[in-house]
Amino acid sequence: MKKTVNCVIDYIYWESEIVSEKMELLQRLRLGLAVAIAKVVTGVVRGLKIGAGSVLPGEIASRLYPGLLSLLSRQIKQGIILVVGTNGKTTTSLLLCTILENQGYKVIHNETGANLINGLITTFLSASNLVGKINADYAILEVDENVLPLVLKDCFPRYILGLNLFRDQLDRYGEVDTISHRWENAINTLGESTTIILNGDDPTLCYLGQRLPNKVLFFGLNERNLYLEEIPHAVDSIYCPKCGHSLDYEGVYLSHLGDYNCPSCDFTKSNLDINSSEWPQILIGVYNKYNTLAAGLLALDIGINKDVIYETVKEFKAAFGRAEELTIDGKHIRILLSKNPVGMNETIRAVNDIKAQGKSSTTLMILNDRIPDGTDVSWIWDVDTENLVSLGGNIIVSGDRTFDMALRLRYSQDKITEGDSYFNLIIEPDLSKAIKTALEKTSTQETLHIVPTYSAMLEVRQILTGKAIN
Amino acid sequence: MDIKIGWLYPKLMSTYGDRGNVICIEKRCQWRDINVTIIPLDQNANTDQFREVDIIVGGGAQDRQQELVMRDLKGAKADVFKEIIENGIPGVFTCGSPQLLGHYYEPALGQKIEGLGILDLVSKHPGINAPRCIGNVVFELTASPLAEDIKFMIGEKPMVIGFENHGGRTYLQSVQPLGKVIKGYGNNGEDGWEGAFYQNAIATYAHGPLLPKNPFIADWLIQKALQNKYQDTVSLAKIDDSLVIQARESLLKKLAIDS
Repeated sequence: MKKTVNCVIDYIYWESEIVSEKMELLQRLRLGLAVAIAKVVTGVVRGLKIGAGSVLPGEIASRLYPGLLSLLSRQIKQGIILVVGTNGKTTTSLLLCTILENQGYKVIHNETGANLINGLITTFLSASNLVGKINADYAILEVDENVLPLVLKDCFPRYILGLNLFRDQLDRYGEVDTISHRWENAINTLGESTTIILNGDDPTLCYLGQRLPNKVLFFGLNERNLYLEEIPHAVDSIYCPKCGHSLDYEGVYLSHLGDYNCPSCDFTKSNLDINSSEWPQILIGVYNKYNTLAAGLLALDIGINKDVIYETVKEFKAAFGRAEELTIDGKHIRILLSKNPVGMNETIRAVNDIKAQGKSSTTLMILNDRIPDGTDVSWIWDVDTENLVSLGGNIIVSGDRTFDMALRLRYSQDKITEGDSYFNLIIEPDLSKAIKTALEKTSTQETLHIVPTYSAMLEVRQILTGKAIN
Repeated sequence: MDIKIGWLYPKLMSTYGDRGNVICIEKRCQWRDINVTIIPLDQNANTDQFREVDIIVGGGAQDRQQELVMRDLKGAKADVFKEIIENGIPGVFTCGSPQLLGHYYEPALGQKIEGLGILDLVSKHPGINAPRCIGNVVFELTASPLAEDIKFMIGEKPMVIGFENHGGRTYLQSVQPLGKVIKGYGNNGEDGWEGAFYQNAIATYAHGPLLPKNPFIADWLIQKALQNKYQDTVSLAKIDDSLVIQARESLLKKLAIDS
């Protein structure tokens, strides 16, 4: 059937090139057809319970009509906001979405984390009516960092929000420098009317912002009491993005984010456009301070009242698995998705803060090696797990690569004999049993922290809440 | 007893958890009450530091970092590095670092990068459109006398488990291969060999990291280092490796390989 439809559509398209005055009508016809088919597919996918239909309809519709993303995205009244970066996209997008909704705007958002092209198209499709018309003020789209240049060919955003660039999934992608250059080239094709909001504490993004002709605003921290004692091992770009010399750091807040300057060339950190010490934050952890400031600065620039923003920040509920809190059998649980060394280091820092207050003694670490997790698990050796075991307690390990995680924890201590161990290591490859044990070890006064990779997070939620996300 | 581990450019050459190799040697010494000092062999190190190490460890680098390393590791430093490998200092070089030790590397784009010429091998990238060699890799150690030594230590044929991710392909000339590929691509996906072995230097594309999953190689390095240093045969105390045995079994099972 698809082939016939394609032929008809190609014919219409060919016709439209000749008869230009009929163009718009034909375009709409083609759009309507593509949208209708995609909607049927979504219905079938959901009806057959083979998934939430977050990617496939977009795939089919964009094959039927390659210009689809452009045509759909042009209908958003106030503009499109693209959110890019290695860590924090989902949480920041959700916060921004909530702020705009609280201000009374109608917002669409790719909330299932479908951040490749087909996922974006599916997001627009599900917000459109049968002839492809969309009624929305803003579209907030989290975009995979490698896909941004491709998205910018079809989407003309009002804002691009760049959160950070960490080393993530090198088995899929290139290097941090390469990605930043590709962003620069793609943004340069847009013209100057797009406002760019970047993390000024990230040298690569700061340098990117300094070179763009657009209006650029920087967020970041100015709270020296939050400096780390030393730069963690899992750090990439401590080299000047301009001349390649080692940067001098006055202090780091997280990974390579901090206060820096280059002793060799004229590159220095730009002034920040927000005062972090005045701001409340969402959830826990320094990384969520960054997410708060990113969404906050953008909302302020749109013209949202500060009271609305602060109120939303205080009331904010986590996106699934991102510092999400649940209560099961009277036990408090916090799920902290950790998919790369920087993310896991920050998770350990946040968990240790709570452990140090005596409010948590048990942590469940789940390591999977499926496609969404990355099939190479060597990154756990770039995580400072020594910090996790140093405060003792129960550490339960599970997942596809249970023993790899267990081994990493074993090598995190100076003594090997049982009696000398700082912590109680429990190995349970069966995830349901591991969760059960973890709950048993947690008292009702404490929080159980669950630290999963992406696919493990989906499994954990399914077990705990009895329903799947995808 | 004490051991000095020389760590080549810890900040520049540490791509896929490669510091796990340093951690593994360090802990397996500490657990046996052998004192360990880690010496970063980076831009701030001079030839004296290169000369005092008992084991040398190198990991992979991204392109820009590799350039910085090559700019620094030349002249007297390169000569001393070559000298200590020739003198039999045990070393382990993973990921991209075998490319650094060969004669040259021809990248997909840009100019040929001269290597240190310690290992008689060359590396070439077959072009930007050629797929990278990515996945779990398993190989049997065949290099002599390494394979015999380890077989004597563990009582079975030594199988190495790791993960490979490389665009370049390596072709051995007169140097011995490290092992024979059972699963994965190895040096070039064509001739069935993985890595290289020269004097007491082990070079391999396998990360994972290499040593925690294959602790017999770590123990071999430690033993060689102690024997070189104290000019006496050394037997290492046994360590409870039940976790790594299970980690290996579960991966071999997943890859459907009989151990």
